[in-house]
Amino acid sequence: MTERKSRPPKSRRDPAATSLDHERDAFIQTFIRKGVRLTQELVRENEDLRRRLSEAESENAQLKIHLRRDDAVRELLSTIEKLEQEKSALLSRFREVEARSNAFEETYSEVEAELSNLASLYVAARQIHATVTVPGVMRHLKEILEQLVGARAYAVYLRSERGGDLVPVFHQGMSDRDVRNVRPGEGVIGEAFANGTGYVSEDDTITEGTFEAPAAAIPLRIDDRVVGVLAVFQTFEQKRRFMSVDFEFFKLLGGQAAAALAAAGLLAAADGKLPSAEFYVELGI
Amino acid sequence: MADYACLIIEDSPMMRQLLVFALARIRNLRVTEADDGVDGLRKLAGARFDIIVTDINMPIMDGLKLIRRVRTDPVHKETPIIVITTEGAEEDRHRALQLGANAYITKPIQAPQVIAKVKELLRIS
Repeated sequence: MTERKSRPPKSRRDPAATSLDHERDAFIQTFIRKGVRLTQELVRENEDLRRRLSEAESENAQLKIHLRRDDAVRELLSTIEKLEQEKSALLSRFREVEARSNAFEETYSEVEAELSNLASLYVAARQIHATVTVPGVMRHLKEILEQLVGARAYAVYLRSERGGDLVPVFHQGMSDRDVRNVRPGEGVIGEAFANGTGYVSEDDTITEGTFEAPAAAIPLRIDDRVVGVLAVFQTFEQKRRFMSVDFEFFKLLGGQAAAALAAAGLLAAADGKLPSAEFYVELGI
Repeated sequence: MADYACLIIEDSPMMRQLLVFALARIRNLRVTEADDGVDGLRKLAGARFDIIVTDINMPIMDGLKLIRRVRTDPVHKETPIIVITTEGAEEDRHRALQLGANAYITKPIQAPQVIAKVKELLRIS
């Protein structure tokens, strides 16, 4: 009511004043609209900033994680490197131990082989003097030659009193016709007797030796005297080559076989009568 | 007490001695000796053996006859047999293996080879 009273009727208002009112209203409207727009823009901008802040925070968090991950990776890499070094050291140690083990195994095999050879030599040395009968000595000689040396055909030659020829007193694996007397200095067997030097073939043809070209010819000695020759003509087919232990067998037989045979021969000549104690006393040893 | 029993059948005392020396290197292996095939069969009838080592050329009964007999013996028909002989020909090896021998070693022997074969057949490490 009061307002109505204060406002004059329209028809009676001044047109200039009315225009001014309009302008004022328009200005206010424009101002308000701009204000609203500005506010809306500010709100949007604010929202945008919040969003970007949130994104930045999230990105930051991601980066932190990455950073942490990178640290972990670096740590992991360093651990791997250390482990690689340890592995390499262990491998090198393993190779060292393996090499030592191989060397040990090789030495062990060599020792085993040597032990086997020594056992064979011991048995052979024991056997050759284990009997004082001529057939017994021959049997043992045969066993040593066949079973330990691998000889298939062989002969024992002793010097004959008549004419000085070497006569085969025992042979195996060869016919009587193929094993004949030998003159000292004649052929491989005669030379071994005359020179006192043994011959042992180093070829791998010893399975096919002959009377003229035997596989081995070993002088038989009593002390320093050469009294005969042991000739190995051929070996068994599995024995293709003489080995180091065979040289030891030949040395053993060269030094012992003749003595064993002579002892057995003397005993046989004395009708098996052993010398008495007096005999040794009279010798005045 | 021995875990394994081995019978060596060999007419040469020298070879028997060598084989005994060699096999003594295997722990827990008791070795019995026989000097020919008949003696071997007698010993096989009186005890149970885990492995037999035999020669081929022996008086009275040779190694091949012995293998034949062992392979029909209910107690020892599965017992491993190692032949140790001077006979190196392929047909001799083939014949022995065909009769039931498990291994064939030619003389002159190398002890480590015999030891290895016995261990292998007895599955001893």
